[in-house]
Amino acid sequence: MATVPPPLARIYDALRPRMLQRLLELRSSLDPSLARLDEATARAQIGAVLEHLGNFLATGDLRLHRAFLQTFLAMRAAESQSPASVLAALVAIGDTAAQVAQEEGARRPEGVELMLLLTRVTASTARALNDLVAEELESRRRSWHDMSAHMPGLRS
Amino acid sequence: MTAPALRVAGDSHVGKVRRTNEDSLLVEPRLGLYAVLDGMGGAKAGEVASRMARDTIRDFVAARRGALPPRQLLEQAIAAGGTAVHRAAKASREHHGMGTTAVACLVTEGKRAVIGHVGDSRAYLLRGGRLQALTRDHTIVEELVARGLLAPEEVARHPHKNVLSRNLGARSETRVDLLELEIQVGDRLLLCSDGLYGYAATEAIQYLLGSGDAPDHVCRDLIELALRGGGGDNVSTVVIEAPGQAPTSTQVVRTNGAAAWWQKRQRFLAIAKERGLTRNPIVRGLDPKEALELVALSLCEAVFHDLERSTGVNVWTFTQHLAGGWFERGGDWASIRGVIDILGASARGVVDEVRAAEPQLGILLDVAVSRALVVAELALGGLLSDRLRQVDTDMIELASQRDTLQSIPEFSEVPEVTESRDTSERFVDRPTIPFLRPDRPVTGAGISAEVLDGVHKALTIARARTNPRAELIKQVLVALDAIASEGSESFGTAVLSARELYGVRAIDDAGVMPLFDALDQARILTTASVHQIQVPEGTRARVLRAISTAHQRLVGAMTGLVLEAVAPFSDRLREAQAATGKLRDQLARAERRCADLERRFATVADDDGHLWGAQGDTEP
Repeated sequence: MATVPPPLARIYDALRPRMLQRLLELRSSLDPSLARLDEATARAQIGAVLEHLGNFLATGDLRLHRAFLQTFLAMRAAESQSPASVLAALVAIGDTAAQVAQEEGARRPEGVELMLLLTRVTASTARALNDLVAEELESRRRSWHDMSAHMPGLRS
Repeated sequence: MTAPALRVAGDSHVGKVRRTNEDSLLVEPRLGLYAVLDGMGGAKAGEVASRMARDTIRDFVAARRGALPPRQLLEQAIAAGGTAVHRAAKASREHHGMGTTAVACLVTEGKRAVIGHVGDSRAYLLRGGRLQALTRDHTIVEELVARGLLAPEEVARHPHKNVLSRNLGARSETRVDLLELEIQVGDRLLLCSDGLYGYAATEAIQYLLGSGDAPDHVCRDLIELALRGGGGDNVSTVVIEAPGQAPTSTQVVRTNGAAAWWQKRQRFLAIAKERGLTRNPIVRGLDPKEALELVALSLCEAVFHDLERSTGVNVWTFTQHLAGGWFERGGDWASIRGVIDILGASARGVVDEVRAAEPQLGILLDVAVSRALVVAELALGGLLSDRLRQVDTDMIELASQRDTLQSIPEFSEVPEVTESRDTSERFVDRPTIPFLRPDRPVTGAGISAEVLDGVHKALTIARARTNPRAELIKQVLVALDAIASEGSESFGTAVLSARELYGVRAIDDAGVMPLFDALDQARILTTASVHQIQVPEGTRARVLRAISTAHQRLVGAMTGLVLEAVAPFSDRLREAQAATGKLRDQLARAERRCADLERRFATVADDDGHLWGAQGDTEP
């Protein structure tokens, strides 16, 4: 993804507190995994995602994006959240951020551009996360085959 | 008097039993006049009566508008229609006893509507998602109910429930019931003959009327609904919609965006072909043209329908079927990723072209299509997550069995074998097209007997494989059979089936989730069953297409019902959010006030609360 023009990145930074506030207010209706979190944990998690999205918008660095998602996925897995649940939460965050940007679009045209960018970022986030999960799935399937290959009595 | 800008459409159908259509429609936007009339009488007398009354009403309004207030204008116009029919009936033995019902709506420039009616043709108003009847039938039994001589619940089974107490033509002068109302933005008025409400559930009428589709589509769907319900009478509908002052971005996407997208479908296919869709393992063995149609056009249509209805259910279902079927056949992730990426790039290519021609529309379409791609990823994520969980379960089970075996001496010394059983790289030899586009969801089409037979066979196998106690799954399979057998573009059967399955469920996990679980289980069962029937590959693909489309429609209809059911809760949530905002402001003000008081108090009290300091009147 190409880097975002500085004005849009600045608008995003300016809107971030409002996005965070909106997400904290709506988290129970947005996604079950966000609803289960206490206020402080939710603020930390959502804040981290929003901050990362800002960095991604500014740099367009897919490698860092992927690294962030890998860490995020691992941390949520440690909290017993399924990959589908993590994906749903990230999409909910992206959608809400885009919605806030859309509201800003009523005041200045850059808001609409930012909404589009955030929607695209959400799409690429979902894509990258699925690729990570698919890799993990493939790795575990290999482990399963290795295990079963060493147990000929169980192969039927 | 000029009519406000309304969107209006009307349609009529002879039904499945009658040989002639005795209903007449009046759609005159120039006059702001709309009506449905249902004629009665032997031979073609009913047809004559409804047409005569219709023409008289129209001519009366055209001649006297401006000279009379709207209420009197419509009242006298309908009465004049009755007088004309009465005279004609008396003058001709052939037409003796003929008559007609009439429900008419006159819309004036102030967006006020006058509704007038005689007989049992009805007017309904859909406002805020709720349907209300504006008219009371002029039937013997309704008169008895009004006088307290008959209980309302006895109406439906009363032998004279269809006997009119009033119609146009029975008398030289007719009493017309009138009602006035202010038309609000978003309102939808429905005028209809008893051929609609007599053969379609009120809930289904409400669902279709509130679908957001254009009035001509709604008219067509309502008629289809009545035909599915038996079509025992002529059925006529007029839908009058008061659209918003300025269309929202959602409305723009639903109308212009969807149309622009659909117009570019050939471009979508061309880009998909350029990017190598036909070489993907998923479509291996298929003719390139067929591959493009079955995969690319299917997604193109799914996006189109989602844009039209502001949902994601079609793209979701497409992706689930495509990827789910591929995975079930042992397919790999890279092929799915390849197909989705190609389709995503094709979509972006189309959007870029729309943006170049119409920047404002293009950006809205861009957002909507990007969201469709997110929906596709969500569907993929769900499948991957399920498979990951399954592999974990398998590993736990394997580890458990290994521990058991190792405790048995003869197995604990089994030498290691080098044979690999890795099936992760095993691809299918035959093409798998799990989601196949409906025959012609946009233009309508039939379904061949061969495919229909295949559908029945597959669903029979699926039913046989269903746990006898899994009643809900069996019901879903029966519904899929009915919907797939329709083979047309109508959602009527899907809506009715969904309503039947939905029943009296409550909107919570316990109420709704088993239903969606059953839908998902039915999808898996049917997909597997299609691969077991003995038919040529081409037919198999079409059978899968028919069942997938039926499933897609059922899920769509079910989602509509759930959304409808949660609407009041959403409203309450919004109200609660607004109230929370106000309370938060009040709390902030109170906290500021508290802090201020604390600061002031700190200057006049010590830690123990003894007053001192500012006033300096007490020493500690």
